[in-house]
Amino acid sequence: MSLPGLSLPGLGLSQPSSSHSALGPGTSSNSQSTRTEELGARTEWRFEVNFHQQYHVRLLSGNAEIFGVELALNQRYSFSGAKGVIFTWHGCQLELSGDAESEYAGLETEYAVEWLNVHGMLESARDLAHGTNDGGPRVLVVGPESVGKSSLVRSLAGWSVKCGRTPAIVNVDPREGLLAPPGSFTAVTVGSQLDVENGYGIAPISGPTVTPIKTPLIYHCPYSSPTERPDVYKALITRTALSVLNRMEEDKVSKESGLMIDTPGLLNDPKSNYDMIAHLVSEFSITLILTLGSERLYNDLNRRFGPKQAASAEGEGIPVLRVSKPGGAVERDAGFLKQLANQQIRQYFFGTSKEPLNPHSHICGFAELSVYRANSATLAAAASSYTKDEDEDDSPYTAPKASADDFEKMTPTNAMLGRLVAIKYCDGDSDDFTIRDSAVMGFLYVSEVDEQKKRVRFLAPHPQRWGDKALVWGGCPEAVTDLVG
Amino acid sequence: MSARSPRGSLSGASSAEVAEDFGDSLRDLQINNRYEISNLTVIAKENTEHAQAISKVLEEHIGMTSPSKKLPALYLLDSIVKNVGTPYTVYLGRNLYNTFMQAYTLVDSNVRKSMEGMLKTWKEPVPGSMDPRPVFPPETVRPIENALIKAKTVAMQSHRPIAPDYRNTPTPPNYANRFAPPPTHTPPQPYQNFQPGFQSLPNAPTPQSTYYQHTPQQPPPNNELDAVKREVSGLIVQRQAQYDANRHDQRLGGELKALLDLQQLLNAGQYIDPASLQQIRDRVSGLANGPSAQLRPTPQPGTPQWQPSPSFPQEASQFVRPAAPYSQPPPGQQPPAALLAPGALDGLQALLANGQKPGTPQIRATAPALQSASHAQLSNVQNQAAAAPQFNGADLIASLTRNGLLPKSQRQPPPHPQPTPVPNSSTLPFQPSADLLRSLSSILPPTSQTGTPTFPAINLPPTTSKPRIPMTAAALKQFRPELVTTLYEAQPNQCSTCGRRFLSTDEGRTKKARHLDWHFRTNQRIADPAISRGAHRDWYPTEIDWVRLKDYDPSTTTAEEASALAAASNSQFSSPTKGKAHKRPEEMYVRAPPGVTRNTCSICFEEMKSAYAEELQEWVFWNARLAQGKIVHATCLAEMAKSGGAAGLGAGQRQRSATPESSLGKRKADGVGLGGGGGSKLRME
Repeated sequence: MSLPGLSLPGLGLSQPSSSHSALGPGTSSNSQSTRTEELGARTEWRFEVNFHQQYHVRLLSGNAEIFGVELALNQRYSFSGAKGVIFTWHGCQLELSGDAESEYAGLETEYAVEWLNVHGMLESARDLAHGTNDGGPRVLVVGPESVGKSSLVRSLAGWSVKCGRTPAIVNVDPREGLLAPPGSFTAVTVGSQLDVENGYGIAPISGPTVTPIKTPLIYHCPYSSPTERPDVYKALITRTALSVLNRMEEDKVSKESGLMIDTPGLLNDPKSNYDMIAHLVSEFSITLILTLGSERLYNDLNRRFGPKQAASAEGEGIPVLRVSKPGGAVERDAGFLKQLANQQIRQYFFGTSKEPLNPHSHICGFAELSVYRANSATLAAAASSYTKDEDEDDSPYTAPKASADDFEKMTPTNAMLGRLVAIKYCDGDSDDFTIRDSAVMGFLYVSEVDEQKKRVRFLAPHPQRWGDKALVWGGCPEAVTDLVG
Repeated sequence: MSARSPRGSLSGASSAEVAEDFGDSLRDLQINNRYEISNLTVIAKENTEHAQAISKVLEEHIGMTSPSKKLPALYLLDSIVKNVGTPYTVYLGRNLYNTFMQAYTLVDSNVRKSMEGMLKTWKEPVPGSMDPRPVFPPETVRPIENALIKAKTVAMQSHRPIAPDYRNTPTPPNYANRFAPPPTHTPPQPYQNFQPGFQSLPNAPTPQSTYYQHTPQQPPPNNELDAVKREVSGLIVQRQAQYDANRHDQRLGGELKALLDLQQLLNAGQYIDPASLQQIRDRVSGLANGPSAQLRPTPQPGTPQWQPSPSFPQEASQFVRPAAPYSQPPPGQQPPAALLAPGALDGLQALLANGQKPGTPQIRATAPALQSASHAQLSNVQNQAAAAPQFNGADLIASLTRNGLLPKSQRQPPPHPQPTPVPNSSTLPFQPSADLLRSLSSILPPTSQTGTPTFPAINLPPTTSKPRIPMTAAALKQFRPELVTTLYEAQPNQCSTCGRRFLSTDEGRTKKARHLDWHFRTNQRIADPAISRGAHRDWYPTEIDWVRLKDYDPSTTTAEEASALAAASNSQFSSPTKGKAHKRPEEMYVRAPPGVTRNTCSICFEEMKSAYAEELQEWVFWNARLAQGKIVHATCLAEMAKSGGAAGLGAGQRQRSATPESSLGKRKADGVGLGGGGGSKLRME
């Protein structure tokens, strides 16, 4: 047991503890024994765990939370492939074990105060909305990459749930799925306990779950960036907003609790005059914009949407607040994001260690399938040059006009191998707009394409066949090669 | 938390082995899990020859384990002594005081309540048992009870003023020594009774015969209440004797009167919530102990740092001075019991009337006020009070206030210069006194109407102090501890499995009970390989299903409520008559014949697909019925049946089926949009 404050990253007190035998061999050379860490009030414990490491945390005393979700005393929480922050308002004692790339106590936590105050603002707005038909606060969170947008949304969601609210959470960042694999938009109302280890918990499965399930509505966004196909992206936002706002009309509790939108960092494109943000603001009738990190973004948005300037145009204007970036927010490189995507895909089919799932294999003839490819600049480029090089395109944004060839019907090819295919809630012969706007029933993984025998082997999450539905795939997420076998 | 399977007798093994094994199982006892506890009880029962070792392990475990796990372990102890009995009651009884009190000092207020409840049952025979003897002999239980009463009295009187000070400190100070056995109160005994020589009142004492009042005892629905009643009637007898000895002592008279009123109130049989009762009890036992109640820490002079209004202490000192000059004897000679009593009793009554909090400062302050009151004023009060047919504490306060006996605002430095034991901090991880305070203050109404100041600490009842924060950049930076309070302290009732918190209200407790049941059920199912092994992901919902979805927390919702909610989700689909049908068509199902996964409804010719119904553990066709040996949609069948009469229902009545089926998205949604009476605004294009 190390002395409090003496445990530095990498300073392994390498006494092999007996409780570690279960960890399995060869995880990391950086193996550390179980140690305890004392945290003062309003400090935090930051850790980065890569995908082949296991890191365990146990709260010994005091109170602590991870992104707004409180840790229970003496429960062991495990993390892998995570960059996390355990924050304590009151001070706490943690027991840590396992391996991490880095772990340290963070003392600069002013951001947490700001975030909590944002929560206080939202609660005030919800109280005001109570009994009226105005609805609760509708919050848009924007900022560059890796500034803690998702963490902020998760914290606000966690605190709201703790206060008995049922906020709607919307994720329009297709690179990182929420209750779904990447390549999707998510809308979900959260009315029950979130999960310490994997945030929002798990979407419906047929078996028992550790935390209550959350039922999300999923749209398919097979583009890694909004700039790839702004028109499709916008249409999907419109569609998502429509469903969410309809839902809120049906469900007063949820309406009063409001909604929070998590966005991709690439959304903030000054060149397009924040066209996409404006679209989100109007479609969701946003009442509060939170910017993280970028000062320029704050000023630009405040000028455009803030109370004073907009007063003449559309009446009230929307408060724009600049919220501090957490000290623990770290750059996540492309490699990490790719692994994160793989992990999400894997968990979609196989579940987690706590909630293991059985995927099912289906073999379908080409004739049974209606496969569409979502065209994007990337795919088109890849197709034309015949290079399977999936570079993130930094090409200047050229507005591709809405065209009939958004979705190209195709016979399955080897190019689909390792890809995720969305089953859409629409007939196989629907038109492009229907395909684009239909919600997702589930995702399939293409594990084998036999062009001779004209059949495809899919890995499906569900034992049931899906019938004649449109199957769509696109550039995001990237192919995963090692999912099966 | 892994549920251990029941084991056979370990009789062959040595005591040490049995104890070690038992200890291992104990460490798995994390939550109050009936199954595990009864399992361990059985083990204890089968190994009575090792009772000594097992008892020792159990005692050690209770002592060593973390506060959150103490209660389950204590429940186990309780279960063993009640279900197994003799060898264990002897072994566990020996150290019961230490075992119980050490745990008690370390746990939070909710657990304490549970422990007190448990303690109460130990004084009674085992329910359903032929043996009339109590679980533990009275001589084992009584010291604990006494210690609890004293500890609480001390805690309540001492920690109210101190509590606020550590709210801003990073690490909460602790009060481990708080519950150390209270100082024996024999030395101050001379102060307590019959000291007419100390009375400074002009009239000579007139000894008279003692008058005993017999209190009718109610049948015991509530032990605690009875205990208070007993104490009160005991006090009445005592004070009566004092009063009889000194007829002209108005203080004694008023005190006696108040006690009689209190007794009347208690006997009136109205409901008094446990916390108030506890406070009454503490107060009464404080009175009964006479001067020992004086041994409380003095409130810190000077306002706590965050106390907003600086006028407070000034007012207090203004008040103190006019009260002082009235022919008061030097403090040393003041009979402390009398000094304390009238105010304390007022506090009691105020409590009962639920109108006001008996902050100790206030109580102390009242006393000199009463002393300084003129004879006429006092009797006026008494007359008024006596005139009120159904006496009520608030009336007393009001009448006191009217007569200028009870100043509008008061606070006073401690009347007794005696040094006070200041509790030390040492090992406690939590703030038990703060918890106690919070639980008390959340039970009591926030502020009184009489203008009597309540202590600032009590002004933080977490549920009510929700700040309004404007959406401005200026409001972002300032730390608001009250926001943290709403997330933590306001919901003291925490689930030990997932950390979820609940309010300390009845509703919160109900929810938590359901929530724990949910965990239990879920864990059982996760542990059952037949259920959890074949799990697979469900399809995501359609837009329309999602829009109609009523989100509820399955862990705190009962099955009935859940089905009611589900029905509500469907109510827009169904006409009222349909909603009333005891089983809606979409809930009907037909078990899928082996090998059949698809079927075509012979009415609408849409495809049906089987789905795995977890609760049935079968593949079924939902929304299906058998008609002439064929599986058809139940909704289609229902429509067929009434197609003659209800032609107006049309397409809008078409039930969505729970099974995702082809072309569900668009066509069905359109149909609903048309027929749902405008309920759906979903525009599909």
